[in-house]
Amino acid sequence: MLDAKIPSGPIQDKWDKHRFELKLVNAANKRKYKVLVVGTGLAGASAAASLAELGYVVEAFTYNDSPRRAHSISAQGGINAAKNYTNDGDSIWRLFYDTLKGGDFRAREANVYRLAQLSNNIIDQCVAQGVPFAREYGGLLANRSFGGAQVSRTFYARGQTGQQLLLGAYSALSRAVGKKQVKMHTRKEMLDLVVIDGKARGIVTRDLVSGKIESHWGDAVILATGGYGNIFFLSTNALACNVTSIYRAYKKGAYFANPCFTQIHPTCIPVSGDHQSKLTLMSESLRNDGRIWVPKNKGDKRPPNEIPEEERDYYLERKYPSYGNLSPRDISSRSAKEVCDDGRGVSSTGYGVYLDFEDAIKRLGQKEIEARYGNLFEMYERIIGEDPYTTPMMIYPASHYTMGGLWVDYNLMSTIPGLHVLGEANFSDHGANRLGASALMQGLADGYFVIPYTIGDYFARNSFDKIDEEHEEFKKVEKAETEKINKMLSIKGKKTPTEFHRELGKVMWENCGMGRNESGLKKALELVPQIREEFWQNLTITGEADDLNIVLEKALRVADFLEFAEIMLWDALERKESCGGHFREEYQYPDGEAKRDDENFAHVAVWEYTGQENKPKRHIESLVFENVELAVRSYK
Amino acid sequence: MKLTLYIWRQKNAKSKGFMEKHQLDGVSEDMSFLEMLDVLNEQLIHEGKEPVAFDHDCREGICGTCSLTINGTPHGPEAATTCCQLHMRKFKDGDSIYIEPFRAKAFPVIKDLISDRSALDRIIQAGGFISVNTNQAQDANALPVSKEKADLAMDAAACIGCGACIAACPNASSMLFVAAKVSQFALLPQGQPERKRRVLSMVEQMHQEGFGACTNIYECEAVCPKQVSVRFIAQMNREYMGAYMKNEE
Amino acid sequence: MSIVSYLKSTILSKIVMAVTGIILLLFLIGHTLGNLQIFIGREVFNQYAYFLQSTGELLWVFRAVMLLSAILHIVTSVYLKFYNLKAKPQKYAVTNYVKATLSSRTMIWTGIAIACFLAYHLLHFTFGVTNPEHTKYNGYVEKGAGLYVEYNMPVPELIEGKYIEIPDGKILFKQKDVYKMVILGFKNPFISIVYIIGVIIVGFHLNHAIQSAFQTLGLNHPRYSPSIIAGSSTFSFLIALGLISIPVSVLLGIIGGVA
Repeated sequence: MLDAKIPSGPIQDKWDKHRFELKLVNAANKRKYKVLVVGTGLAGASAAASLAELGYVVEAFTYNDSPRRAHSISAQGGINAAKNYTNDGDSIWRLFYDTLKGGDFRAREANVYRLAQLSNNIIDQCVAQGVPFAREYGGLLANRSFGGAQVSRTFYARGQTGQQLLLGAYSALSRAVGKKQVKMHTRKEMLDLVVIDGKARGIVTRDLVSGKIESHWGDAVILATGGYGNIFFLSTNALACNVTSIYRAYKKGAYFANPCFTQIHPTCIPVSGDHQSKLTLMSESLRNDGRIWVPKNKGDKRPPNEIPEEERDYYLERKYPSYGNLSPRDISSRSAKEVCDDGRGVSSTGYGVYLDFEDAIKRLGQKEIEARYGNLFEMYERIIGEDPYTTPMMIYPASHYTMGGLWVDYNLMSTIPGLHVLGEANFSDHGANRLGASALMQGLADGYFVIPYTIGDYFARNSFDKIDEEHEEFKKVEKAETEKINKMLSIKGKKTPTEFHRELGKVMWENCGMGRNESGLKKALELVPQIREEFWQNLTITGEADDLNIVLEKALRVADFLEFAEIMLWDALERKESCGGHFREEYQYPDGEAKRDDENFAHVAVWEYTGQENKPKRHIESLVFENVELAVRSYK
Repeated sequence: MKLTLYIWRQKNAKSKGFMEKHQLDGVSEDMSFLEMLDVLNEQLIHEGKEPVAFDHDCREGICGTCSLTINGTPHGPEAATTCCQLHMRKFKDGDSIYIEPFRAKAFPVIKDLISDRSALDRIIQAGGFISVNTNQAQDANALPVSKEKADLAMDAAACIGCGACIAACPNASSMLFVAAKVSQFALLPQGQPERKRRVLSMVEQMHQEGFGACTNIYECEAVCPKQVSVRFIAQMNREYMGAYMKNEE
Repeated sequence: MSIVSYLKSTILSKIVMAVTGIILLLFLIGHTLGNLQIFIGREVFNQYAYFLQSTGELLWVFRAVMLLSAILHIVTSVYLKFYNLKAKPQKYAVTNYVKATLSSRTMIWTGIAIACFLAYHLLHFTFGVTNPEHTKYNGYVEKGAGLYVEYNMPVPELIEGKYIEIPDGKILFKQKDVYKMVILGFKNPFISIVYIIGVIIVGFHLNHAIQSAFQTLGLNHPRYSPSIIAGSSTFSFLIALGLISIPVSVLLGIIGGVA
């Protein structure tokens, strides 16, 4: 039975009470515990730095050449906090409610409330680190509004908030590395988790430069390795983002929660051709001033400026008058898909909608628009070659974030004792849909303000045998990984890892993307194993195992995506409702709105690995809502 | 379009490199520069040859991983653009393109177009931070920062740590990189307590890493994808002079 | 702490470059303005030269400062050059500068050329080594009349800087005829060309040097820096123009027709 270890008592007091109840590790004893942190994005870097400050021995791992490159850096828009600096009625409770409602009531109340509480500490911490947030002339912090909220609570640093927050966490981590409190391993990719006596005790990595397979022991392992959006091949994720670490942990016994909850971001630059390697997101903040529309008539190929006002369909404003262009991401994305499927899409492929700034420029002047979105407009022009000041932008939804992830309890510990999972890699706070400017908040809350307390409790309550890298379990995993690599190299087939990835991505995007249905999911469940089988027979890899080998790196990641895809499909198939990012076409209202089924599906679906050939086992963690009423999410 | 590519190939850090010629056909102008290299690499894998190793990740111009010197200019011909955001419409059919790694003694080549830029991390580790432990912070609005200073600090903080400034500098000087971080914190009230220590130790580390001296030729600023201004180098010179003269150690 | 320990810091080294450069530049400005007095006439020019010679100990202080500045400037630049070469051992197969000007990238070479030129200049005019026939002339000023006369007859008992009564009752004052020295020197087209080229290189060097010194000393401001850079170029151009005007005028016979 899954125990989320949610503290009892009123929701406002749960975290305080819990922190008091957590066992402590004596300051002098902290140096006796070694923590391995995999991933150095917002969650990983903040955790590594905070744990090192407390006195734990920390080793951190990244496959990038520097912790500063983690994909958290790409977040543009901002970070939410319930500071209520704008005096517009915000509160911890409102941020909690918005986040829970935005997630279509598929997240844990207690976790979300804690997140909202900690949001304020995050802003304080980041400002103290020298993050140059936008400010008013009076010298105080500025806020902007963001999708899914009616208050202005988003703190931002131009269009580079993720970068600035990551650099803040990176600077804290660097300080610890400089003081030799953290040992940093760069260009090392985790291949597998090592579980000894039922506890997570280490990882096996591949040195991406020398190809060496290495073991690292610890008393606890923290995975902060991000999401699996790259399963769709095309996504806004960085190219190296992958599912390997969390999928391997799943295979070692960590349960995987809500894998089908993936978020499609509405404002990305449309695909231009087969060569496309990734999709570029433009901050959702563009929707504050841009108006989204398509032609009213199917197949209207006129240039946008020649389409008169009355022949334009501002479909978000029409369907959701109170939120309009600021409707939540899933609604906004799905509406774009609807109009494109209706044959009214724009761009050369027919998969695009206009995001028009003409009115905003008239209202605010080009200078103000330039001040607000200048860098985004430039980026758009670089990629598309058109000037958004004169021609409306074209946008289309793309896979962006994965709400699903390893199941964790209130302490952020997975079902494997000692394996903690932070940030996007866990499932905990966003339910079925994440609101804009909340990812940064969650990553940092987990890393700075949750794990430093909860990991101590784990250490204090457990005893640890002395082990090292020579332990037979490490040798076993090393051997298995080496054999797997040798096997891949020996196939000498005809298709590259990228080709397999593209093929998988296409199947997943078509059948498990913005719209899902039973027959599509079942079809995909047949196709994915076929691709996987071909992968192991027809893969080609050049170069050697003991060298920097970009083809091998890619193949190892694709191999895990090919296995992981199936749990995602199973989860989507068995969640027979529409909620948040998961839209089952069978479950919708006549007007096309998602039909949630609170009676049967107000729970977390948690998957257990049961062997390579078996269907994974579905567990349930019921979601109890004591503080909010499960309303139909309406943004009309 | 059809291109002739001259690409630096180097097996590993110890071996000697050379320029290798490749012909590539069917390049679309909508491709990014790195997508063009992807196409080449897929072609090479199919021919059983090792693809060209190059660093890249986010492909949206912010992570700072991509690091190609294209026709003698780090990140290529388009101003304020990383090579992952450079699109092939900037080139024309029949062009010859020279692709080399970022070069500097402190950036040894690991393989092909990948160089080791960990020296930059070590500079940050030496002092590129504000020493504030988690949960030691006061309220975010306790210290007002004038908008002008906050904006200027943000201009400096925009650095993505790609190292193009160093790659472009004939002296491989890292002054722009170091100055951006020193200035960001020097401009903010939070950075004041460590202001002098910071600049002294970061500059010291910069010297230890073997970066060259600044000769004020400003090539760094010209190739910087985030257009970090050399005014921050002037600011760092001021900071350094002040700190050096008052230093008692 | 040794005197050259500043070399351990590239920033301090650059500051030494800037400060010594400014000292040398101030001298050059004075030198240029002084030399331009040649256009006023022989008496003024020679009087000016005599004034400089007559400053006694101050002259030695001045020379020491110049010498030290030049040595520091040269030693530091050569050290930094080697330091920088070491920092970038491998060049690109293709190099394509976006912003770096030719003058900014060739400072060490223009610097070396200037050092050579300076050496020649000193050997030529100051020490009279290369062309002693240019520097051997003296002039005589008659007391009260203020006229400058040339005596072809040798007056061996006359000592420089002292008034002496000669047998025909006039009181004369002996000075070096620097004016004639310059005219004789520049009448030779080869020597003039060497000077013109040398001065152009100085201008080229200054074009980058002046604004670079501002930057090194921490003076960079978006409102003023464009003017500093433009001013740096204009100023170097004017210095070069002023210095070039002398040999050109001599060659064209505008001045020194008498010599």
